Amino acid sequence: MRNLFSSSPSYARRMLFLSVIAGILLLVDTTTQWLKPARSWIAELTIPIFSVALLPRWVNEAVNEFADAANLEEESELQEVELLILKARLQQMADLSVENSRLRTLLNATEILQHSVLVAELIGVSPDPLSHTIIINRGKNYKVFEGQAVLDADGLMGQVIEVYSTSSKVLLISDSSHALPVQVLRNGMRSIAEGCGDFRHLALRYVSTIADIKVGDQLVSSGLGGRYPAGYPVGIVASVDTISGNPYFAVDIKPSAQIDQSRYLLLVSQTVEKFGASKNVR
Amino acid sequence: MSDKNYSLYFYSTISLFVALLLQITPVFGSTAYWRPQFLLLVVSYWLLKKQRQYGIAFAWLAGMLFDIFSGHMLGRHAITFSFCAYILILLNKRFYHFGLLSQAFLVFLLVLLNQLLLASISLLYRTDWNIVMLIAPAITSALIWPLLSLLMNRLPKGGRLNQDNLFEDQG
Repeated sequence: MRNLFSSSPSYARRMLFLSVIAGILLLVDTTTQWLKPARSWIAELTIPIFSVALLPRWVNEAVNEFADAANLEEESELQEVELLILKARLQQMADLSVENSRLRTLLNATEILQHSVLVAELIGVSPDPLSHTIIINRGKNYKVFEGQAVLDADGLMGQVIEVYSTSSKVLLISDSSHALPVQVLRNGMRSIAEGCGDFRHLALRYVSTIADIKVGDQLVSSGLGGRYPAGYPVGIVASVDTISGNPYFAVDIKPSAQIDQSRYLLLVSQTVEKFGASKNVR
Repeated sequence: MSDKNYSLYFYSTISLFVALLLQITPVFGSTAYWRPQFLLLVVSYWLLKKQRQYGIAFAWLAGMLFDIFSGHMLGRHAITFSFCAYILILLNKRFYHFGLLSQAFLVFLLVLLNQLLLASISLLYRTDWNIVMLIAPAITSALIWPLLSLLMNRLPKGGRLNQDNLFEDQG
């Protein structure tokens, strides 16, 4: 029988040893890319467990859908009407895009961007409240690439940061390490929308107090960073406050995308289509 | 004896798995800060109860598992969990003598320690920790501890988390 009140020094040593191993792993993981291949297959392994963890949510949704079955007919009628309206708008859009490309040729701009989309489904959410990342079910097998923009039905949601063989990891725009170039739709004013670790808010930093920005302004991606395609809705200005002693507005933005709710997402890829003469002025 | 050990490992694996599921089930918004540290609680339970079978390495593995699922900064939970396990092992003999309420208070301190360590590790890379993230999980974990230990004491072959087991396990 072990002595009850002897303190065993081996515990301290063991703890230190294991912590040092974990510390080395932590350093290697955060400062180098060496663990990337391992991460990829780890991600594959975690998917089934993530999907089990998501089950309650899906069940909840399924039950809701089942409850809504009564309204199905009504809903489908509504959707038909909506489809019709959207189709009409699309026709207009086609006209506009032709006109746009014509104007761009006049301006000697050589290329036009075409966006194609791929539908993806959310399969996992990071358990860490500080890291706003999600896992989606499309990876190398669908030619997803790092930096690809992710949308939901209402607006911009994030970008792909890691691609695995059948899944990939998406950093959401609400993550506090994320920032994206935007512009105000009304007047084209450029700014940077930063995430602040909250799914329902983004912030504009360094907007001068004389800048023309109002509550209700629509912000769209400006495409300046080269990561996100231009023109997708990012959010709506919810409040513009002056803080005394501060030369900048505190601008709060409500994201257009349902960042914490959407289950089906769109991956956008830009294909550059060259046309016209390429004698553009630089 | 080995048969008993098998069922012990079976239950601990199952409980770890359930804790992991609770830990990674998506909770959005600021409620996510209030999620108890289920994994740490379950690890503490087994550590306190079967100190011979479960040591610091067990906590380290559980922490690693958590890190794998949280998908960034691999190893930080492994560090904090093994440190918490070390503290628990030092406190082990005293822990038995406490009632559920005092145990809950100790769990509060333990999770707070865990969060502080996590914060200090995370601060190397990001600066957006706040006081809610430190205290909220500690409060909810302390509240859930009595429930969890009562529930897990009911596991077949479980015995109870009290003094009776102290001599039996170490004999």
